[in-house]
Amino acid sequence: MSWRQIFLVLKREYITRVKSKGFIWATILVPVGFAAVIGIMVFITVWESESTFEVAIKDETGQVAPPLIEINERRYLDYSGLEIDSLRTLVQLDRITGYIVITEENITERRNPELIYRGSGGMEFLMSVESDFRQVIREVRLRRADVSEEIQEIYEARINLDTRRLTREGEEEDDDTIFLSFVGMLLGIIIFISIFSYGGYITRGVIEEKTNRIVEVIASSVKPIELLTGKMAGVGALAITQFTIWILAFAGLTTIAGPLAMSLMETSASASGDLAAAEAELPAFLDFPTVEISLIVYFIIFFILGYLLYSSLFAAIGSAADSDTDTQQLMLPITIPIMIAYFIMFHTWRSPDSILSVVSSIIPFFSPILMITRIAITDVPFWQIGSSILLMILTFAGTMWLSSKIYKVGILSYGSTASFKDIFKWIRQ
Amino acid sequence: MTTIDVNNLSKTFGKTVAVNNVSFEVERGRIFGLLGPNGAGKTTTIRMINFIMPPDEGEILINGVKAGPKTQRWIGYMPEERGLYKKMKVGEQLIYLAQLKGLTASDAREKIRYWLKRFGAYDWHSKTVGELSKGMSQKIQFIATIVHDPDIYIFDEPFSGLDPINSELLKEIIIELREKGKTILFSTHRMEQVEQMCDDICLFNNGKVVLTGNLRKVKKDFGKNTVLIEFEGDPTFLDQLENVRINNRSTNFAEIRILEGLDHQDILRKAMENTEVHKFQLVEPSLNEIFISTVGEDNIKQQELAV
Repeated sequence: MSWRQIFLVLKREYITRVKSKGFIWATILVPVGFAAVIGIMVFITVWESESTFEVAIKDETGQVAPPLIEINERRYLDYSGLEIDSLRTLVQLDRITGYIVITEENITERRNPELIYRGSGGMEFLMSVESDFRQVIREVRLRRADVSEEIQEIYEARINLDTRRLTREGEEEDDDTIFLSFVGMLLGIIIFISIFSYGGYITRGVIEEKTNRIVEVIASSVKPIELLTGKMAGVGALAITQFTIWILAFAGLTTIAGPLAMSLMETSASASGDLAAAEAELPAFLDFPTVEISLIVYFIIFFILGYLLYSSLFAAIGSAADSDTDTQQLMLPITIPIMIAYFIMFHTWRSPDSILSVVSSIIPFFSPILMITRIAITDVPFWQIGSSILLMILTFAGTMWLSSKIYKVGILSYGSTASFKDIFKWIRQ
Repeated sequence: MTTIDVNNLSKTFGKTVAVNNVSFEVERGRIFGLLGPNGAGKTTTIRMINFIMPPDEGEILINGVKAGPKTQRWIGYMPEERGLYKKMKVGEQLIYLAQLKGLTASDAREKIRYWLKRFGAYDWHSKTVGELSKGMSQKIQFIATIVHDPDIYIFDEPFSGLDPINSELLKEIIIELREKGKTILFSTHRMEQVEQMCDDICLFNNGKVVLTGNLRKVKKDFGKNTVLIEFEGDPTFLDQLENVRINNRSTNFAEIRILEGLDHQDILRKAMENTEVHKFQLVEPSLNEIFISTVGEDNIKQQELAV
């Protein structure tokens, strides 16, 4: 193996691709898309806090309206003095969103309050009105039943599960399992997509050289194994470049997104002169828990190993095919394990420590997707991570050996796409 | 001095014996023609000389060194299936290919400039190959083959698919290279080019060498047993001749190879009885004739062996 030749191939593969329009657009559009999604979400939040729905309460009991106004003084208005006809007119003129008449029956009997409105506001509005009334009417009933405060508190209590993580070192940490589950699934999906897309680059590159017939000229200067290695390294370098740009862009965006959203919301709140909104919390989706550095390092390791494991096979398929359209069937032996890993991931995401998850995350062809998902979500024992890495390295040596045998013969076989039978022959040669 | 020394070379693909115990020598400063029908094993032999595939048996020495990555740099190779990267710019592409042959980038740039100018192609430097016409990209292909200034040039079926202008250009290049003392090996099945250009030949059939040596000597050894005849009149007398093979027949011309026994004077007599003879000449056989008779005999022998 000559490193000079490998480097020359690597450089060509890298530079021609990095300069291509497709690569530049993909590299730019992904962060732009991400920024757009955040922007839209911020916009929605800001917009939402501006809009108000006014619900007039005609309270015949005199007990329901005050607590409602206490809950949300901008929404609930005590219009008990007005006649129903006037309320109807106000709704018709869009002066108020709707009105509710509360009678004694709403409290003593099982009769639901009835909102008369123009139909605007949507589900979220209806659900919040519903929950406000549920709470207030329950309180009124409890009070009337003259139950002790203790029991009232029991009814008011809302039990949720709080969780804290205890590390092996004995420190307690905030638990972000739910957030991390999404991170784990996202990382798995990213590796899944990138194996296919960068692998696809390699397959198409090999086929291009074959259909252009340049490969024989190249082969008169470079050994097939050098050409293969150079290609894999070149596309690998491309992948690393793209991911570095994306990771930096995401890091930058998430850092500025929070403060930016806050300032936006403050200005809009002060414009409407509302103190409550000004004190609003940062919306939950912008409150990113920190991702550990070790997770990023593992992601890079599994990404690279997964890429290496599969990319040589993608090259072998390209060498056996005669045109782009002929790759479908040859692709199956690669597609099947990746797809299986992908489907298992949706199980692993929910129960990362089940036997299925543990065993399949150690199988080398599944590890790149499943192990990273598990590492993100749960505390994976090091022997499992270590053995999956070791097995992937060993399998990589195997796939590389196999692929180089196929590739060596395949690149010079013009005219027809090889069958699996042909490929077996090439391997045994 | 021997530049390419091929000894007892064999290569088998599955059950097909592509090259079977082949030996020949290519001398320095000469043009060597590798002839043979399609599927005779020429391309496989050329690929092994270029170290694109390893031989199963036998040995190839290039300037006394066993074929390998080192000897690859001494050879400029233009395969039968020609091609370039379509989306890459001409200049970048040539630099890449020259660098793979061991040139430094600056060295490569200088030589590429020279050749592009020489072929009147300097304006194409920043165009992609996809933008070029077929004839233009063929010129670029020549440059890619010769840019690193090797000692040995190997062309596999170089004239197939070339337009007449590029065909002439390539012939000029080949002759010029020989004048510079370079060694050229090319394969072809077009005999007139071999007759015009080659010093030595090697004839392949079914993976084996059936004839090799100096072209003049090969022709001489075949003897003056070919008759060129020009006549006017009824040509049907030609059909009555026995023990001959008629090549190149037209209404008033024939090239007749005398096989066995028959006296050329008999042919002349028969011709004079039936037509008016304008020209009657006894010559060495054409290479085409040598090719057909040698390959034909070899095939008959093989069939007999098979029976």
